[in-house]
Amino acid sequence: MSARTLRITLIVLSVIGVALAGYLTYIHYTGIEPPCSIKGNPCSQVQKSIYSELAGIPVALMGLIGYIAILATLLAPEVERSRLATAVIALGGFGFSMYLTYREIFTLKKICEWCVGSATLMTIIMLLSVWRFLRGSGAEPPAAAPPSSAGAEQTKPLATAS
Amino acid sequence: MSQASDEEDLTRKQRREQARAQRKAAEEAAAGDAARRKRLAQLGGALAVVVVAIVVILIATGGGGKGKVAAPTSPQAQSQVAAVTSLLAGTTQKGNVLGSPTAPVTLQYFGDLECPICREFTLGALPAIIQKWVKTGKLKIEYRSLETATREPETFRTQQVAALAAGKQDKAWDFIELFYHEQGEEDSGYVTESFLQGLAQQVPGLNLAKWTTDRGDQALLAQIATDTQEANNNNFTGTPSFLIGKTGGTLKKYEYSSLTDPSGFDEAIEAALKS
Repeated sequence: MSARTLRITLIVLSVIGVALAGYLTYIHYTGIEPPCSIKGNPCSQVQKSIYSELAGIPVALMGLIGYIAILATLLAPEVERSRLATAVIALGGFGFSMYLTYREIFTLKKICEWCVGSATLMTIIMLLSVWRFLRGSGAEPPAAAPPSSAGAEQTKPLATAS
Repeated sequence: MSQASDEEDLTRKQRREQARAQRKAAEEAAAGDAARRKRLAQLGGALAVVVVAIVVILIATGGGGKGKVAAPTSPQAQSQVAAVTSLLAGTTQKGNVLGSPTAPVTLQYFGDLECPICREFTLGALPAIIQKWVKTGKLKIEYRSLETATREPETFRTQQVAALAAGKQDKAWDFIELFYHEQGEEDSGYVTESFLQGLAQQVPGLNLAKWTTDRGDQALLAQIATDTQEANNNNFTGTPSFLIGKTGGTLKKYEYSSLTDPSGFDEAIEAALKS
């Protein structure tokens, strides 16, 4: 997968994440029932549980901020640091998603398909962004650049990158 | 001879170039390895921070292990008893019903004593509802059983019957409230005979001998079966679930918007009063 394709894939996934977390944040603040295909609407029970907030902040809002932050790092000029930032934020988001999934399965014993969707999305973003960071600038091997310039590496803008 | 010398020079030149190319490749490989190591170290550091943060969150939000198990005679449990006694002071109890039998509005609360979301309601919105509506005689609340969180049906029946047996002495709500206040982590096996006995000992004025005898009353098991049937008729699959309406009339499902903020319940009760 080329660096450009990888970056575009991550941007698309992040935009989906922003939409998903934005909807869950909207639901949280308006108190409306989220649509759920599982009988008994466990989504509603999960999203109204005490674990839907952390220190008074809705976890959906935290997710929204996380996806926006990931998107911002992807839209920034692609350099070593921006790739690192994407991977680090995605790792944090993945860890938090795992915590929430644990609460769903083992504490609440309810599965919310919206939450599972977000956790799956964040897992894919994390895997792709870590891979993207570890492989460096993509087409050329990381050794091509002198070690001293690693933090200031510049690549072509997204529109013309190959 | 001159041609041989040229060939020798060429070979030397080729060797030098070859050696240079090898050196360059080795340097590039070393630089590549160093960059990869650096990246792995950076990600490792980030991963460590994430793991620490998650552990802190887990601990701060109630741990991840076996969880708390009520110690009925502990000072902490005594403070729970004081809180429950204060909450229920001035209310009437009859069997599984909290509130005046002539209260114009009835709220049926379908719960599982091991359900953490029921605990959230019982410790969240319920005290304000009791204070505002039950103590003023406008609302009575019927506790009904629906198995959701308890894994073993036998354990479910045992714990729910234990609460209903306390209801034979009009103290079911003391037992229910104490159970939720001292609820342990799900599936940690905390609901044992000694746990139930400990709760019963905490209920002020409960005759333990009579409670023990009443736990064998088959009518209480039948009541749980009736509650389950009623829940099924209303397509309830989760707890807490609620029915509300005028006492003696047809009760309707109440879909809550919050379990900690009583305002939604207030509106539903006011609507039932006006109907």
